[in-house]
Formats: sequence, C-alpha cells, structure tokens
Amino acid sequence: MTHLNSVFFFHQARHVDAHGPLRYNALYTFMICRCQCIRWFPPAQIQMSLWAAALFAGLLTWGVAPAWAERPSPDAAAGRAAYDQYCARCHGASGKGDGVDAKRFYPRPRDLTMGVYKIRSTASGTPPTDQDLFDIITKGLPGSNMPDWQQLDEPTRWALVDYLKSLSPAFEQTQPVPIELPQDPGLRRVDLKKGKALYEQLACAACHGAAGRANGPSAAGLVDDWNMPIRPADLSQGWSYRGGNEAKAILTRLLAGIDGAGMPSYIDTITAMEHTTLEDAWHLAYYIASLQEPAHWNMIARARWISGALPSTPDDPAWTSVESTDVRVRNVVTAVGEWANPPTVRAIRFQVVANHEAMAIRLTWDDPTQDPQADAEASSPAPDAVALVLKPAGSQGDVVTLQAWPYAEAPKLDVSYWASDLERPREMVANDFETFVARPMADRNDVGALSSAAKYEDGRWTVVVQRPLAPVEPDGAAAIDPGAFTAVAFAIWDGGNPTARAVSSWVDLVLHQATHAAE
Amino acid sequence: MERSRMWSPLLIATLIAIGCGGGKPQEASATPDAPEGRPVQVAEAPAGAQPAVGGSSAVIQGTVTLDGQAPKPATLKMSADPVCQQAHSSPVYAEDVVASAQGQLKNVFVYVKDGVSGTYPAPATPVMLDQNGCVYKPHVFGIQVNQPLEVANSDPTAHNVNAKPTANTPFNTAQPSNKAPKVKKAFAKPEVMVKFKCNIHPWMSAYAGVVAHPFFGVSGDDGSFTISGLPAGTYTVEAWHEKYGTQTQSVTVGDGESESVNFTFKAQ
Repeated sequence: MTHLNSVFFFHQARHVDAHGPLRYNALYTFMICRCQCIRWFPPAQIQMSLWAAALFAGLLTWGVAPAWAERPSPDAAAGRAAYDQYCARCHGASGKGDGVDAKRFYPRPRDLTMGVYKIRSTASGTPPTDQDLFDIITKGLPGSNMPDWQQLDEPTRWALVDYLKSLSPAFEQTQPVPIELPQDPGLRRVDLKKGKALYEQLACAACHGAAGRANGPSAAGLVDDWNMPIRPADLSQGWSYRGGNEAKAILTRLLAGIDGAGMPSYIDTITAMEHTTLEDAWHLAYYIASLQEPAHWNMIARARWISGALPSTPDDPAWTSVESTDVRVRNVVTAVGEWANPPTVRAIRFQVVANHEAMAIRLTWDDPTQDPQADAEASSPAPDAVALVLKPAGSQGDVVTLQAWPYAEAPKLDVSYWASDLERPREMVANDFETFVARPMADRNDVGALSSAAKYEDGRWTVVVQRPLAPVEPDGAAAIDPGAFTAVAFAIWDGGNPTARAVSSWVDLVLHQATHAAE
Repeated sequence: MERSRMWSPLLIATLIAIGCGGGKPQEASATPDAPEGRPVQVAEAPAGAQPAVGGSSAVIQGTVTLDGQAPKPATLKMSADPVCQQAHSSPVYAEDVVASAQGQLKNVFVYVKDGVSGTYPAPATPVMLDQNGCVYKPHVFGIQVNQPLEVANSDPTAHNVNAKPTANTPFNTAQPSNKAPKVKKAFAKPEVMVKFKCNIHPWMSAYAGVVAHPFFGVSGDDGSFTISGLPAGTYTVEAWHEKYGTQTQSVTVGDGESESVNFTFKAQ
C-alpha cells in the first residue's frame, strides 16, 4: 500500500512538475527519496522483525496519547496562512475553486464555499466530519490532482480543517450525520457471488460497466451536480479511488454517496430492499475490491528476452509470464480551461518481449467505447488509436515534455502509431502527432509498416505491436539498443471522446541487461 | 433478527426525535417502512389540484398567463439510455415553459407567502413523485413541511433522486430500477423551490415548493389555480415560474368569499 501510494504520487508529482510550478519541486524530491527508500527496503525476514519491533514500540506508547489523537485548539490565523500558501493556488483565494491552476485540472478543484464534499463518512447531503476533512488533507485524493499534505505538521492540518469549515455556511446549517457501518464480516466470510448479484441488482453496471471498467451504458451521459459532464470511476483501477480502495472505504462511499459527483447514496435503497440487510452490502464492497487489478508503476520496465518467435496476438499465453508496467496518461489541454469532456483513458499497461531482431509490445488500456472508425456523424471524430513514442537517434538525452509536444526547439519523435481503422500500424519520425491523426489514409500508408493484432473486449483494448530493433524509417529513427535504457512514452486517442489525446510521461525500458556485459 | 438489531439505533433515534420533537420539524430522512417491490402507478395531479383544505372557507383562484410568444420547447434527447427512448413513441419536450396557444401558462407554483397565522400540521397523505419514461411526473408540485414525499421509479432503468435544497438537507438516493423501493423523504423547513435532478439522465428535472401550510397550488393546462380553505384575511400571494421568476400580489378575502388573482409573465 505504502509502496503503491508513494510511487503513484511520484508519478503525480512528476506530471505536475512538468507543468512548471516550482513549488512542487520539493515534493518531487521528497517523493524520489521515498521511492528510493522503498527500493532499499530489506528482505522479508528483516521486514518481519521490523514489524515486530514497530508493534512493540506501538504497545509501549499505547498508554500515552499518541500525537495524532490530539486536536489542537483552533488557530484561525494559522489556518488562513496555510490555506493561502498551499490551497489557494487551486481552490482560489476565497475558496470558490477558481485558483490559477484550476482550469487545467480534471476533476476541477472543489468549490469549498458550497460545503459539498465527495469523500465523507456521513449521510448524503450532510457535511463531512472534522476527521473526514483531516483525512482528505492527510491522504489526498488519489486519481485527482489533490496531493497528500503529510509534509504539513498535524496542527497545521487541523488548522486547515477549521479554516475550510469557516468557508461554507453548510457546516453551521447542517450537522454531519455519521453513518455507522455494520460489522465487517472479513474477507474469509464474505460471499463474492452475493456481492456480484448485488452489483447487478443495484445497477452499478449502468455506469461502472459489467467488469467495472467505467463503460456502462449511462457512463457517457452522466453529469455532476453543476451539470458538467463527469465519468464514473474505473473500478478495476484501485489506485484511482478517491477515498481509498479497501472494502471499508468502498462501503462508506456506497452508503454515503459521493456528493456533487452524481454517485448516489445506497443506504436507504439497501435497507428498504427485501431479503437484503445492510450487512450484505459488505459482500458488494468486497466484490468491488475484487475487481481491482494491481498496478505496477515501475520506473524501469524490463522486457522478457527470448531467442525464439515473439508473441503476436493479445491472448498469446507467453504474455502471462512477462512483467507489466503501468503508466498514467493525462489529457493534453490545448488551451487553458478547455475541458470539453472529462478524460476517459487514465492509464496504460505495457509488456515487452524481445529477441535479437525485434520487440513485441502488448498495450492494454481501458476505453469505455469502441470507436473503430472516424465518424463525423456519430460522436467519434477519430478512431481509437495508440502510439508508442521513442526518442530518435541522437536525442536520447533530450528532455521532451510530451504534454507540450510539439513545441519550439523540441526534437522530432519516433512514433509507432496504431489505429483501429488502419490495416497495419505505421512508424515514422514525426514532427507532430497530427502527421498520423489528420493525414489522409493513402498518405499514412506510405510510411514504415509494422505488424499488429488487437482486440476490444468489455471496455478494454489489448493491442500487440511488433517493431524491429533496427530503424524502420531510414532517417534518424530510433534504433533500440537492447542493453541500454530506452525512454518510451505513449499517446492514446479515444475516438468516443472528442477531447484531445492523452499522453504519458517517459519510462525507461531495458530489453536485455546482460547484452552489454556479455560483449 | 439481524435486521431488528440493525434498526435498533435508528429506532431509538426516531423515538427520541418523536419524544422531544413535539411540533418541531423533523429532519428529512428515509422512513424505514416495509419495502414495496411493485412499481406504483402514480397519476399525474389534476390540473389546478387543490391542496389539503385548511378548514376555513375563503378561496383565492386565478389564471396565469404568458404575455408573448412561448419559446419553442426543446426536444429531450434520450438516446443515452435506450430504456428511456423506447418508453416514448413520440417526441418528448422539455417542460420549462408549457403554455397553450392562448398563453395559459402551466406549471406555475402559486402559494400564500405572507399572512397565514397559526400552525397547520402536515397531512399524513404522501405526495407522490414518479419517474416515468425518464421524466418526472409531475414537473412542479407543492408539499407541506414534514409531509411525506414518496418518489417512485416506474422505469426498468436506474435513476438517482438528487434533491438540491439549500434550506433543507440535500439528499441523493439510488433507485436502481422499477423493482427498487420508493424513496421516502420529507422536508423540515419551508423552501420555494427545491430542485430534483437525475445525474444519469441530465434532462430530468422537477421542482417542489415546500410550504408551512396547505395554501398552495400549481397552475394546470389552462393556467388556472385554486387555493381554498383559507381563513378570512389579507395575504401576499406569490407565483413562481421555473424560467420567468416570481411575482407577488396582495389580496384580501372574506369568509366564504372567492377572490380572483391573475398573474401575467412576460415571455423573454
């Protein structure tokens, strides 16, 4: 959990960093430290004894009130000062959610003056508890741009809680009504089949999809309480659950709802159902937790090196033994405030198998709609597509911000482009993505051809592209050195979402570490 | 057994609320009643329906008129949910402005804003709001403070009942299908108006006028409304329209008399 969070926030910090605010650099450095610590984490046996020591230390201090239980007396000046310094940039000077950075974020920073909070342990329509607010500040909201603020000391976080409450009359008008969760039966007594039945009975799939991949029939039409388009959570992406991804957090969201976001409260719905008690909601919570797939935010992606033929289809059994790496993607905002639609693709998973001649890369990403063709009449101005992006020969060391690419003095990039309407994927050294996206089909067919296979199933694309290690295009294309780090990045287009492409940050891929050593 | 254990804290809380409450308004909350599995057909309130009679004999009635050309109503696009689309064989129009060729304006909430003294206990009869063909029926309705509200889902698709009051406690409750039990709520404070919406079907909206007494009505197809059972007195009457805002008029009415109050909204 710690590992996942740290690495996740590292990614987040890196993304934010790319936007430029210097303020985040400290956070960035801090996260690198955290990640490095994890890399040096001791082996399992030592871990066990460390845990034992920690437990012992915990027992020793049990009688003494731990620091976090102390709620300092309200300090309005400290709260205001901390807000101005850390929160106003996004949430705005007066808390209206209109800070200078607000417009390029999705989800948008919350308007704190309304007192409507998504992540609560309280009944729908009532404000969060102080502890809820403290937890949001402490843990952040994973999957959004709200970072965790653990670097602020606890008295400051409590001062912020008081300050936030002073921003909205909701806290005086209505008292929080905490929801009491029924007894947790625990994973061993839980019945996932019952959970699945409830998932169907409560029409969770209408928005979240049958497999939880945010591809339900109503997903595209949802609005939030301010009539802005909003997308349901992809339940297979546990890292994106704003309020935490464990069964208890899931049950709390189910019963409390996510106010403002459209996710309704199910407490009345479930209690009024026949043959179903509130305890049964645990089955559903654990079932939803079971839909989550582990994400591996590897900083270095390692290929499987083989001597034989490369896997060529999405379902080739060879893929099961290949390490996978997940990368977040972010929608490119072409102009400030231009969020026509919420992002639909949030991450991509890739695996690589290579031999001396070529590499096969399997790309997997959730896309709620299959848009095989550009269709101006329908809502698909472009086909679904993905690009593997490499740095061409001579620019491996260049810093390229894909979010902003192309920009003045940016190098050309080596792009392998797959689209659902293309017979074969194409590779070329390109000045921009438009070369592929906007070019007439006949033109696109004259560039380097690769081979691929793809399938779309239940809200998910799985695409395998094979690419030779030697350059396909003669002029400056990337030749992949198996023993070196090759920076790879991805761009994704969802034809059903007219908002521009989503791009990832760079990940180092190594095909065969022993190659150099052997030479 | 499990159920009763689960309910005991709620039961105690309810008993305390009843015990201490007396005439005090009760917080909007679900009533833990026996579930009703079957869809309930709720008839649309007849035009100019009379609310519960206040016990006296004065009457205020009138007609609401739209001055000018009514805007062309928007056609509701329901293609996002095939269940909604298939529920209709002809186009469905937005109900924000519904006026006859003669300019009689429907869906105006008319109520006595000032001048009512005394207390009027909430009727036990629930006000019904239905979601039928992915449209709220009725679009505009009145309800007394603490009067039960029952929201039904007659559609074989999911709705969420999202009420956005400001004086009262908001709620957003799931109603996964027409097999789901009714959503039972009440409003503790007067509020004109409370908006209802469904995040799954953004075209759906309804408005409730929550009033502390039974002296309210909604204009029907012919633009008429009637408020009866008033004690003799001088009253401020307000008419609220979703698009055209509010207007007030003062009227004095004696026992057994019927006074006419007509409102005219200008088409923008």
